Amino acid sequence: MYNIYKQKIISFYKRHKRMPGYIEMMSLTGFKSKNAVYKLINKLVEDGVVNKDAQGHITPRTLAGSVPVLGLVEAGFPSPAEEELLDVMDFDEYLTPNKEASYILRVKGDSMIDAGILPGDMVVVERRQSYKPGQIVIANIDNEYTMKYLRRKMDSYYLEPANRKYKPIYPRESFRVEAVVTSVVRKY
Amino acid sequence: MSWGERSSYPRAIIHIDGDSFFASCEVMKNPALRGKPVITGRERGIVSACTYEAKARGVTRGMKLSEVRALCPEAVILPSDYETYSILSHRIYAIVRRYTPALEEYSIDECFAELTGTRRMHHGSYEDIAKSIKRDLDCELGMTFSIGLSCTKVLAKIGSKWKKPDGFTALPSQTLAIYRTATSIGKVWGIGAQTAAFLGLHNIHTAEDFAQQSHEWVTAHLTKPTIELWHELNGRLVLELDTTGRATYQSIAKTKTFTPPSRDVGFIFSQLSKNIENACIKLRRWNLQSAEITFFLKTQEFTCSSYTVLLPHPTNIPHDMLKEVEKYFIYIHKPGVLYRATGVTTARLSDAQHIQLDLFGAVNTTQEMQHIFNQVDSVSRRYGKHALFLGSSLIAMKQNQHLNERGDVPARAHPLFKGETTRRRLNIPMIGEV
Repeated sequence: MYNIYKQKIISFYKRHKRMPGYIEMMSLTGFKSKNAVYKLINKLVEDGVVNKDAQGHITPRTLAGSVPVLGLVEAGFPSPAEEELLDVMDFDEYLTPNKEASYILRVKGDSMIDAGILPGDMVVVERRQSYKPGQIVIANIDNEYTMKYLRRKMDSYYLEPANRKYKPIYPRESFRVEAVVTSVVRKY
Repeated sequence: MSWGERSSYPRAIIHIDGDSFFASCEVMKNPALRGKPVITGRERGIVSACTYEAKARGVTRGMKLSEVRALCPEAVILPSDYETYSILSHRIYAIVRRYTPALEEYSIDECFAELTGTRRMHHGSYEDIAKSIKRDLDCELGMTFSIGLSCTKVLAKIGSKWKKPDGFTALPSQTLAIYRTATSIGKVWGIGAQTAAFLGLHNIHTAEDFAQQSHEWVTAHLTKPTIELWHELNGRLVLELDTTGRATYQSIAKTKTFTPPSRDVGFIFSQLSKNIENACIKLRRWNLQSAEITFFLKTQEFTCSSYTVLLPHPTNIPHDMLKEVEKYFIYIHKPGVLYRATGVTTARLSDAQHIQLDLFGAVNTTQEMQHIFNQVDSVSRRYGKHALFLGSSLIAMKQNQHLNERGDVPARAHPLFKGETTRRRLNIPMIGEV
């Protein structure tokens, strides 16, 4: 068995030009524990196949003669939080990509229930230079905020609720759209 | 530009000023307030800021609220919500920094920025860029700003005041004389009543009169800060923008009014203790220590008595300060007198890293206290300010700062959403219910 493991590690090294890490060795060998890998490495060190430095990183020594040593590559214990975590974002950025223009409101009414926005929810909104039909917007009618779908028929805009109980609002006078809803947050 | 013609903007400086900022924030938070005379500063008993509707009724900054009610009974008087104001203040800076990194955070609702050399990047003239900044600010913050564009800070400031609210005024160098002639000398940023009076004696009444003086006359009669203003008014930038942000403090003061006023010596001392604790929290946050503190008591008649104590060694630990204050408190506290406010100013600040040992080991004790307060600070970061506080501040902490009609806490102090607490809230302004 030992020779099979050794062969697998050597072919890994040939393929990747580096030594496998602990986890990788577990999958190469089928071991269920790191301790087993640890023991295997000690055996390999004893046989002079690999070297182990003070940190426990292993480096190739005489991997079956024919393997060209292409220089030393960091292996063994890769720190997980290095490059892999560079391209992630937190919820703050996810929910408010334009932080300077973002605000929150608490939902009081049930007029947007069919759009999945319930009383008690928090809506995150953004103030923008312009708004488009189809967006859920915060409109200011007679100095009161209301949240509805912004719709357009011919050249005039109107507001449509997402609840059969309520009728669309066709403002007689001009109304002002204050912000567009960008997300709904509900904590349980 | 042709040969021989002076550049309109040798340097391009803008000054941005929020229009009645605190009051505008309140209107932004609550649309029902639009068009109404709105005033903030309820907890202080005086006007902090007021909307233009209130100004039109004769309300001015610093006016007592009792006068306001007589003058304008329908005024909406609100407690200040500094948390929201600060969030929006940071947004102002962030929006302007999209256009230029050279920004001076002058105050909570004002900043200077330099646009020199950014025309190619923004594909437009300095006027276009300044207008674009204004459009972003107005749109994203839901309130209006006034902007002045010119070649120095002093001139940019004349520009932002020129048309208010919602103004944009550009003062290219060819037009300076027109604007200076229309600006009285006392209105120039940095010229106080004393300097204005002195210049008046020399028949200098407008900014133009002043700008036209010869360099010889100016250097012979005036001091350096005023000479700098003379250069600035002539379009030569000498006051560079301070873009470093606040690096440190000269002094840190904490003052709180409480209502109703009190005669209770225990209560008054507790208020003072709370202020000292707060000043120390801020000192520690800025990694500073104070060598001298001044504490004061203000009576209901607005008279102040104060006492300045030299501390045995520089410190940012409230125990060290309270030990001294306890000794001298009786010198300024008069039994039976009604007091309305207490305060403390910590001065002679130095870097808290530098520790000078003393003969009697008091510094060593302080060092041990330092470890304790490091833990207090980390508890506060986790659970909110004043999660742990001194027993001497207990009476003040137990009750709201204001118990009567002034005791309305701003809307943000209520727990809003699941997961928020009175101490820790989302850093996004809440603008109402829908």
